[in-house]
Amino acid sequence: MSYEKDAMEKIARGEALPEKLDIPLLKYMWESSPISFHKKESYHDFFRKISVLNSFSDNEVRLFTKFLHRREFTTNEVVFKQGDSGYGFYFIFSGAVNVYSSHLSQPDDVGEFIIRLEKMQYFGEMGLLEDFNRRSASVTAAENTVLLGIFKPDLDRMLKLYPVVGAKFLRETALIMANRMGQITREIVGLKKRIKELEQRV
Amino acid sequence: MKRQQRIKLILFLVFLMASVAFAILFPRLTVPFGFAYIIYLMSRPLTLRLTKGTAKQRWIYIVLIISLICFSLFPLIATLYNFDTDFGELSRQLPEAQKLLQEKFFIFKVKVFERFGIRLNLDPVTYLMAKVESEGAVLLGRVPDYLSAIFEWLLLVPMFLYFFFVESRKFNTKFLEGIPNPIFEKTYVLFTQFNTKFGEYIMAKFIEATILGTLVTIGLLINDFPYPFLLGFVAAVTNILPYIGPLIGVVPAVLIVFLSNNPSAGLLGVAVVYTVANLIDMILIFPLLVSKIVNLHPIIVVVSIIIGSQVGGILGMIVIIPFIAFFKLLFKEVYKDLSVNL
Repeated sequence: MSYEKDAMEKIARGEALPEKLDIPLLKYMWESSPISFHKKESYHDFFRKISVLNSFSDNEVRLFTKFLHRREFTTNEVVFKQGDSGYGFYFIFSGAVNVYSSHLSQPDDVGEFIIRLEKMQYFGEMGLLEDFNRRSASVTAAENTVLLGIFKPDLDRMLKLYPVVGAKFLRETALIMANRMGQITREIVGLKKRIKELEQRV
Repeated sequence: MKRQQRIKLILFLVFLMASVAFAILFPRLTVPFGFAYIIYLMSRPLTLRLTKGTAKQRWIYIVLIISLICFSLFPLIATLYNFDTDFGELSRQLPEAQKLLQEKFFIFKVKVFERFGIRLNLDPVTYLMAKVESEGAVLLGRVPDYLSAIFEWLLLVPMFLYFFFVESRKFNTKFLEGIPNPIFEKTYVLFTQFNTKFGEYIMAKFIEATILGTLVTIGLLINDFPYPFLLGFVAAVTNILPYIGPLIGVVPAVLIVFLSNNPSAGLLGVAVVYTVANLIDMILIFPLLVSKIVNLHPIIVVVSIIIGSQVGGILGMIVIIPFIAFFKLLFKEVYKDLSVNL
């Protein structure tokens, strides 16, 4: 339920609204409103454009953004390395990152370039859900980049304080994982088919 | 690692070391600060629930702090109010106790001589009483210092606590922003786990001690034993120390029994009350409340308490356990990383 709807229903039911104005909330709503002249993109605008939080109401997005950490990376700075313990899920607020994967376990080996992820994309969701997660790939900033990260302790806190928001976010994260699993399964099926064809040719 | 990142990392480490140095150099400031932080961590689950979705957060914090001040002032005022009477009573009873103890020790010496033929030329009672008198005089001389320290704490702790309640989110965000990227994830997770474990441990020990103290008080009241509230309080306070606490807690009751006219009658009652209370604690309260928070080997716990007492006295003995639990966690994380990278 959105904040406005909640307030309107409270008025209709004859319930009292908070006596004092919640300035940070009003500031947040003003910055995220379409008529705002605020030049900088707010977290709210950003998350409204991301498909992951489609099912979130305005107020839920506001609550969700309270748990985020803004991290700034310069070009080529490492976000995390393959094999590191993983605890967080990152959204690309601005800039871009490169993903590398290596078959070797040498510390200096960056590995092969896999994909470039741009603004509005996300990565690292396994780190948020798995208990003893090891990063399966290395990620470095392709240019000056701002990431919004959410980590395991934040998710625990969110589930305690705002269970609905936490459960919705967990469902969306599980959906991302399911989509990725589906994609991997399709790729494996394709590869198996290709191997069979090659075997028949040989 | 780039030069800029390296400088950021060094600056962060320098900041951490400077904070530790400040804490060591100014204990009059950092001890109440730490105490306020412990209360903040203990009360955080409650404050988060109370302040959720309300615009009157500051009022809730103020009410909480005032309640806390009243709660801590009550025993202080009660002690000061009864100080004259209790001290007079103690001064009157000490010579009687000395006489009684000397008689009992004389009987013991005679029995040893009769059974083993050994003549004991010791007079531990006189030595003990002289020690109690001299230490008591020193303690009395320090009462004004203790009082001024208590009033200083009564001013500083609520002030720091209010700061933690109101500004902790802003302060946390600033602190976390300062952590360099390469160590951010791990530091943040460990920092949060430490805070959670620390708060939960102190709160669990506080609840455990309160329950045990209440059980002992009720048991002693049923037995019609003298000073049930005081002995219950002592049992609760000493119970904060794992393993050795319950043993220390029973000592005053045993001493009272031996100084009474009929020791054998009272001893059974005291033994039953303390054993039942500690069994309930060991079988029910401790496994439910505390053991899951700090999963440490008993030997590590005992060694940690000895180290804690040497470093920071009673407070050191209490806070050392969650610190050791945190270091265990830290060691496990570092070991996990090393085993992957090697």
